[in-house]
Amino acid sequence: MLTYLGRRLLSGFITLLGVIIVVFFLSRLTGSPIDLFFPEGAEPAQIEAFNRAYGLDKPLIEQFGIFLVNVGQGDFGTSIWQQRPAMEAALSEMPMTLVLASIAMSISILVALVLGSLAAVYRFRAIDRIVTILSLMTSSMPHFWFALVGILIFAVQLRLLPTSGSNSWMSWILPVATVSIGPIGVLTQVVRGAMIDVLSSGYIRNARARGFSGRRVVYRHALRNAALPIISVAGDIAAGMVNGAVIVSVVFAFPGIGRLIVGAILNRDFPVLQASVVVVGVSIILLNLLIDLICTVVDPRIRLT
Amino acid sequence: MKLGILWSAVAIASAATMLGGTPARAEKSDKAITVVLAVELDSLDPCDTQPAQNANVVRGNVFESLTRVSPVNGKVEPLLADSWKQTSDKTWEFKLKKGVKFHDGTDFNAAAAAANIMRTQGGSNFPGLACLNSGQIPTPVTAEAVDDLTLNVTTTVVDPILPLRLSYVDIGDLVSQTKPDKVLNPVGTGPYKFVSRKQGDAVKLTRFDGYWGTAPQIKDVTYIVRKEASVRASMVETGEAQIALSIQAQDATDDDRTVTFKDNRIFVMRPMTFKEPFKDPRVRQALSYAIDRDTIVPAILGITGAPYYQMLGPQVNAYLPDYDSAGAMKYDPAKAKELIAAAKADGHAVDTPFDIVTRPDILPDGGELVQAIAQNLREVGLQANIKSMENTAWREFLRQPFPPEQPPTLQMISHDNTSGDASFSFPKYITCKGINSAICNPEIDKLVAAADVAAGDERDQLYRKAAEILYKDGGFIGIAEQIRLIMLGEGVNYKANPLSGLEVRIADVQLN
Repeated sequence: MLTYLGRRLLSGFITLLGVIIVVFFLSRLTGSPIDLFFPEGAEPAQIEAFNRAYGLDKPLIEQFGIFLVNVGQGDFGTSIWQQRPAMEAALSEMPMTLVLASIAMSISILVALVLGSLAAVYRFRAIDRIVTILSLMTSSMPHFWFALVGILIFAVQLRLLPTSGSNSWMSWILPVATVSIGPIGVLTQVVRGAMIDVLSSGYIRNARARGFSGRRVVYRHALRNAALPIISVAGDIAAGMVNGAVIVSVVFAFPGIGRLIVGAILNRDFPVLQASVVVVGVSIILLNLLIDLICTVVDPRIRLT
Repeated sequence: MKLGILWSAVAIASAATMLGGTPARAEKSDKAITVVLAVELDSLDPCDTQPAQNANVVRGNVFESLTRVSPVNGKVEPLLADSWKQTSDKTWEFKLKKGVKFHDGTDFNAAAAAANIMRTQGGSNFPGLACLNSGQIPTPVTAEAVDDLTLNVTTTVVDPILPLRLSYVDIGDLVSQTKPDKVLNPVGTGPYKFVSRKQGDAVKLTRFDGYWGTAPQIKDVTYIVRKEASVRASMVETGEAQIALSIQAQDATDDDRTVTFKDNRIFVMRPMTFKEPFKDPRVRQALSYAIDRDTIVPAILGITGAPYYQMLGPQVNAYLPDYDSAGAMKYDPAKAKELIAAAKADGHAVDTPFDIVTRPDILPDGGELVQAIAQNLREVGLQANIKSMENTAWREFLRQPFPPEQPPTLQMISHDNTSGDASFSFPKYITCKGINSAICNPEIDKLVAAADVAAGDERDQLYRKAAEILYKDGGFIGIAEQIRLIMLGEGVNYKANPLSGLEVRIADVQLN
């Protein structure tokens, strides 16, 4: 197990290093931040002084070398845009993203388990058809549209919820719903498919023959055995949520790493962009490890080697 | 100095409403409001107040300048300076207002004013400092305090509009103006003082009780950002905010909660005159004749735009009052085709494809408008392709030097000039060496150079002559005059004016 973890962490680190290198060079291809901080026709001497102050006057390879040395000491530089340490900016936004993703994922999984199981148990009946249609609709619904319609109905027309922001627990409802709606649809179909496979297997027939109640058969026996593919897909979806939920950030002005990354790109704030990529990358590596560990708990037959 | 400003009917109506209908200032209260913006402020430094996202929050609220442009008649009027006079060709003496305090209790004086003027220009005393306001002082000036209330400003070239330029230099406290570091806790002289800023969340201001002028009614202001226009409008509908800026036409209400104003922002096209198919002025004129502004502008922009033919708005001294009625190249596709054919007959490669360079956020519904323009151009035989890109990439195409391998472009620009003087536009956009210029006409250069050092009516006439040649040459083609919208909550009174795109003074907002 430890060997496996060590190997996974090493491969994750190598992947992360590759991403950092790509982001470092690609972001600088977008141009210099000069345009955003100086008016047109600024004096060359002023621009030179600015470049010197932020190390932008050096050759790119040298800048990268300096960056790597600094990162090794935990220094990701100072945000040109926000005038504070870049890693501080990234770490300050990440908790909200993690909380939002955790809540949204939990709700998505719970709802998907119930609906998917119902659809599988009552296969080919009305409930199955309704669940299938709803899951296809929600998985293909544009998040942006859903968010705006949600604001229009629940905030403007019904005055039940705030339009945006994150200051109260009620302001979380629409963002969480927006982030969950797609995964609910996808996961419901995965649950349904996995449960159909399991429910047709011999040991389930055996359990029914022994007189176990339907609920016990489904939730104690079938669901546990159907869990593996559900956990794998849920892990992929959760990684996507960690990446930013950018739509939620833009529409609801909800804090999060996605909004920070978009802002860093538009403002050519390379230090913040690099720090954010590292934070997100590490989160995803740890999340994938967690998924692997959960799988071993759910199915003890799995051995991590 | 006269700026020779002419006003549109909307501006006149606004001014009349303001003068006749402005309610008397209400007493100080403990009321608070929330203002929702489209773009987050990115600097609290007094030397960065030029862009709208910063100006919306701090100009006229936290910071003030020595002079200001009147929103009523466009003239330069006193603010922190009581008066000024030109003591020689290049030297101006400003007498400053007595008894003005900064928010930290220190006195506003000539030393502070001088420090701000010098720091805004940057230079070796402020290594690494980049000030967005520095572009408003194109040639260096030196500011010196003669005594506490007397300031001398010396220019390096004759500059008849120096008092106007200083309306763009906001004044922060002396201590901050001696350092190159960006100001994070702004201290100004305005009616509101800075309380806090949480990046990505809100900026808070509170009334400054030591303000030298009339105390505003509203006590506390919170600025928040919502990128989506419909969300901004929704917040005012639900009462979460009291003022929403940059509303779109589809979110406007039919009552007086939606306020319109023109801030002299014109949507224009700039052909690259150095390359085919735009080398010949007849093809450039054809661009104007090809576009059916009277149809596409109202249809697409609705109440947020009106057809327009010039580069500068009615407030600016280079505006040609008779151009629209006589002289403007209005929709005439047959004429456009005739001009193109004539240019082709003379050997010009009019079939050369070109890129219409635009941005998705150039103006509300700008994407649809540009598509309609492209369609109009194709209908007269021009090979137009649309290239929409984000701001930083768009700027690469805007500015000289243009790489030789760059294809010919028709750059879409949303240009504003709230100063009233064409010197803030013409040198940069239409002279041979102008950083944003794609035209080189020696006659225009001569007129602009002469106008820059002239004063009064002579200055206005020279700029107008330059404008006449520019439009006849097809150097810049006006498409639409933009009309901006602000949404107000119930019981909120605010008279928008031509400066409201930059400066929304909370002291001018009254609550019932």
